[in-house]
Amino acid sequence: MISYAFKALFANKLKTFLIILSLIFSIVSIFLISSISNGVISMYSSMLKSDGDIIVTQAKISDTFFSNVNINLVEKINNLKDIKDTSAMTVGASPVEKLPIVAVYGVTKNRFKNYTLIAGNYPSKNEVIIGKSILEQLFNKNEIQIANKSFKISGVFKSEIGFENGGVVLNIDEAGEIFNKSASMILVNTTLNSNIENIIKDIKNLSDEIDVKSTQNFVDNYNQFKIIKTSSNVISFIAFSMGLLGIVSLMSITINQRKAEFGIKRALGIKTSKIVYSIMVESFLLGVFSFISALIISNVTLYFVKNAKSLQGYVNGEISVELAFYIFVTSILMAIIGSIIPALNAAKTDPVELIQGNKI
Amino acid sequence: MIKALNLTHYYNKDLALENINLEINKGEFVSIIGESGSGKSTLLSLLSTLLKPTSGEIFFENTNYKNIKDIDNFRKTNIGFIFQFHYLINYLTVKENIKLANEKASNDEIYNLLKLLKIENLLDKYPNEISGGQKQRVAIARALINKPKVIIADEPTGNLDSKNSLNVFEILKNLSEEGTTIIVATHDKELAKFANKIYEVKDGKIN
Repeated sequence: MISYAFKALFANKLKTFLIILSLIFSIVSIFLISSISNGVISMYSSMLKSDGDIIVTQAKISDTFFSNVNINLVEKINNLKDIKDTSAMTVGASPVEKLPIVAVYGVTKNRFKNYTLIAGNYPSKNEVIIGKSILEQLFNKNEIQIANKSFKISGVFKSEIGFENGGVVLNIDEAGEIFNKSASMILVNTTLNSNIENIIKDIKNLSDEIDVKSTQNFVDNYNQFKIIKTSSNVISFIAFSMGLLGIVSLMSITINQRKAEFGIKRALGIKTSKIVYSIMVESFLLGVFSFISALIISNVTLYFVKNAKSLQGYVNGEISVELAFYIFVTSILMAIIGSIIPALNAAKTDPVELIQGNKI
Repeated sequence: MIKALNLTHYYNKDLALENINLEINKGEFVSIIGESGSGKSTLLSLLSTLLKPTSGEIFFENTNYKNIKDIDNFRKTNIGFIFQFHYLINYLTVKENIKLANEKASNDEIYNLLKLLKIENLLDKYPNEISGGQKQRVAIARALINKPKVIIADEPTGNLDSKNSLNVFEILKNLSEEGTTIIVATHDKELAKFANKIYEVKDGKIN
């Protein structure tokens, strides 16, 4: 059956190529939009998770960029039971030289260790450390300006997180002056086997103006992530639908041209279910081949996207095994669903037309 | 072997066949002749289970077609088809085209059948690598691989020259002498003479 399916596909090279091309475009689109949105979510959540089990933000503020938390809470939280370490972070963005937007992180000193230096020292007053990918794009590699204030570049760090690797890190009090806030969030590290829910209650008791969540809970419920995921799902669905329509139309044309083949099969007593099954096998092979091609193309594209200087490393797609499996199933479904209607039509080919001498 | 009683068939409101009665015995070579549009192809379609008559009954070895549950399997095991156009599948070899009709046919069976038709050297050729006459012989082999009790052939020589046409009818004649029932529709009255029974269809009726 499989060898016959291969032969049938090779016999219609141009149409097979067009179907595969249509499938590949759709699958690559789904791969890229899903992996890039997952990458964005993963990068930001990795940053948050890297230093804490609990995250404290301003109450009733939906975005960390607009959150303002009193940094004095850091010391108070540190004094609570089962707290290992507490740091604060201000997140902002600013143009730097010709780059329109660069992530700026103001952090407490105890968080500097998160940035692995590859040159220089951690920043003192009026100094910053910068990510490796941003350094490569600066003309002046000794000094940068953020909001009309000059900072000496004291060191360069490397991070696997694109948002950090393409960012600037400075002391939180100086970031606070630039962005006019105390801190965007406080990240709390608890001791092993501590009761997170109890600690969250204790922290909430410190202020009415804060929202306290476990980092996992925060990541799962962060509205920006939900928007990204929803947008990604909508675009993926559109890509899926476009692919599906492409397959339906191309398969219909192909199968219409092969009507005599299905007519003779019907005349020979081959059951309609077997004819449909044979077309499904062809579709499955198309789906598998297209998926493999799309996976390779997507990985190559993501590599170039990741290393594109103009994107500053902020766009970093991740194709996890889970995502690849999900898209594999989607690809097969797309190929098979797209072939069902043409296959059913093929199976209904009336062999009487053959016996009546028509070359159907 | 095949008995048709009062067969009438309409395509929508158009009468194609009217009150046809015929009886075909085992091993008979029957020719159905008639002008184009006379109704002979409709008759073949009815006799081969591809069409259900509007009214009337058809019996195959005393079994009414209406009582056959698995019509596909019945057709596969009892009836072999040969069409005017060979309808071989171009991307399959001769062997694979024949196997299409019977997946379980062994290579030896196929080879012996092709040898009988003097085309054993074409086993692994593709249809576009062989001549028209050879294609029709392959189509005959495909019809024979299930050892059907009846072969229904619709203008099997319509696309062949006189030499190949004669050859095909000789093959069919031999098959009938070996016990296979042959029903052939043809417009060639000379070739129709190979048959031991001739039905002429005219305006949907048998004369």
